[in-house]
Amino acid sequence: MGEVVRGATAQKIEEYKRKREYILQMGGPEAIEERHKKGQMSARERIDYFFDPGTFTEIGLWIKHRTTAFGMDKREVTAEGIVTGFGKVNGRHVVAGAEDYTAMMGTFGEYHGKKLSYAIDFAKNKGWPFITMNDSAGARLHEGMDTLESYGWTFKSQILASGIIPQVSLLMGPCLGGQAYHPVMMDFVIQTRKTGFMGIAGPAFVKTQTGEEISLEELSGWKNHAIKSGQTHIVAEDDKDCLDKCKELLSFFPPNSKEKPPRIETKDSPEREIPEFDTIIPDEPTTPYNMHEIIKEIVDEGQFVEIFKDYAANAICGFAHMDGRPVGIVSNQPMVKAGVLDINACDKLARFIRFCDLFNIPLVSLTDCPGYMIGSEQDWAGILRHGAKLLYAWADATVPLISVIIRKSYAGAHYGMLDKSIGADFVFAWPTARVTIVGADTAASVIFAKEIREAENPEEVRAKRIKEYSELYESPYPAAERGYIDDIIMPHDTRKVVNKALDILEYKLEHKEVARPWRKYSNINL
Amino acid sequence: MQEIFEAPIPGKILVVNITAQNTIQESGAVCIIEAMKMENPIMSPVKGSVKEILVSPNTIVTTGDKSAVIEY
Repeated sequence: MGEVVRGATAQKIEEYKRKREYILQMGGPEAIEERHKKGQMSARERIDYFFDPGTFTEIGLWIKHRTTAFGMDKREVTAEGIVTGFGKVNGRHVVAGAEDYTAMMGTFGEYHGKKLSYAIDFAKNKGWPFITMNDSAGARLHEGMDTLESYGWTFKSQILASGIIPQVSLLMGPCLGGQAYHPVMMDFVIQTRKTGFMGIAGPAFVKTQTGEEISLEELSGWKNHAIKSGQTHIVAEDDKDCLDKCKELLSFFPPNSKEKPPRIETKDSPEREIPEFDTIIPDEPTTPYNMHEIIKEIVDEGQFVEIFKDYAANAICGFAHMDGRPVGIVSNQPMVKAGVLDINACDKLARFIRFCDLFNIPLVSLTDCPGYMIGSEQDWAGILRHGAKLLYAWADATVPLISVIIRKSYAGAHYGMLDKSIGADFVFAWPTARVTIVGADTAASVIFAKEIREAENPEEVRAKRIKEYSELYESPYPAAERGYIDDIIMPHDTRKVVNKALDILEYKLEHKEVARPWRKYSNINL
Repeated sequence: MQEIFEAPIPGKILVVNITAQNTIQESGAVCIIEAMKMENPIMSPVKGSVKEILVSPNTIVTTGDKSAVIEY
């Protein structure tokens, strides 16, 4: 027995409190004040705002790096620059990792990465969604290969969790270099307008290696990813908006791929008629109209959370509720590039469809599409390869699939936007639908090429043949007569008809109506 | 500041809706490109003054072709 020291227990408690308090104060009041001046919250303030009060449990608060090189042996990095743990968001469990820029600029070292990958594994094993709040100056180069290896652990953890739990990255600070594969491989990225940056390398690296001079905003800011590159799904105004938008997004998701998304109460009648739809389609098929007006009316209470709003705006996708059920809406925008399916639109829609399918969210397609984009630019860039992603996404999907053909459904757009042949459970069409293999002008030019060429008045013959083809085929009737369309409906009944179909398909997955032999996965074109 | 409009889609210029030196409103149509069974209005994201028009009706454009320059 050693000598009893009076007050030893009290000392231990005091030491514990002191150590814990030191870690909780992150980089210190001055560093936090700097964040506030820039309009940003600290990592712990973000966690507090995000989770329901009193529900957050931290994991790995005490973790420390083990590096000694370049003075690191004397350097304290509170919580290794990342706060990890779990709690509840609107009453449902969520796991999160929040990078702390005040702790050695949130740099990503060996144990920073270990904490992150552990938290993802934890979320996967529990079957709870995972959220990263990115805010890091990049790799902690002092740690050499240990940092690089740690990136790999994180990537592997999130990839193995992909399709099991929803994963969302909140780009509230910088995330540059190889580390940026972390947000980009999540299911969704929400980027703040002024402080979120993402890229494979920052301006300094780019200048050193290529000589290109470009600002951080231009190279890695929201415009780059939300408009040009298609890597940011939603843009947020600031930290709070980013966290709010994430909570809203999570409200559509089940906690994991084995569960259904949560159905909510709605005051919007599932049978509500929409008289405006009977006059919304312009008389002239070459005149565009705004598809958002149709989407807003069909869904519950006009609430539509759009994904990739500013990227490939010729296609539209996003989440809404119908009769309280979360659904994924997929559509075309005739106002932009004729609503055509080009490479970017195909990439955008295919990944959205696959997410919905992974997480048991029914899909509703509203089609007005002239087809896949043709011409040398798109052909050489691989429209066939990219367009194939949509076909794979639909054919592989096992969730309820409902298609409503509003106007054009020509050629590849017919299956590219979901028809019976590729897997739709129900296909409905408005009387304004034009469902056929090719437009009348093209068809007449091919079928009657010789007749037109040899006619005394070629233009007259061309016009006559176009009219003839159009009257015969550019309508919903030939497809409905073969059963390719289940019913032609009055536009004002669309919400009612889609909700009925969703009712009927409620137990599609449980009934295992889609039976398929085992395989590792389909070899989707990438 | 200048906004250079590039054709977003290959096609034929059907109508040019602006005239040089005149003002264009935000979301006003610069021109209409006929392509993929549609008359596609090309909207201005800014309010400004039309400095230069580089296309006319029946011009065939490919994606990225400059169609107009707006100063704002």
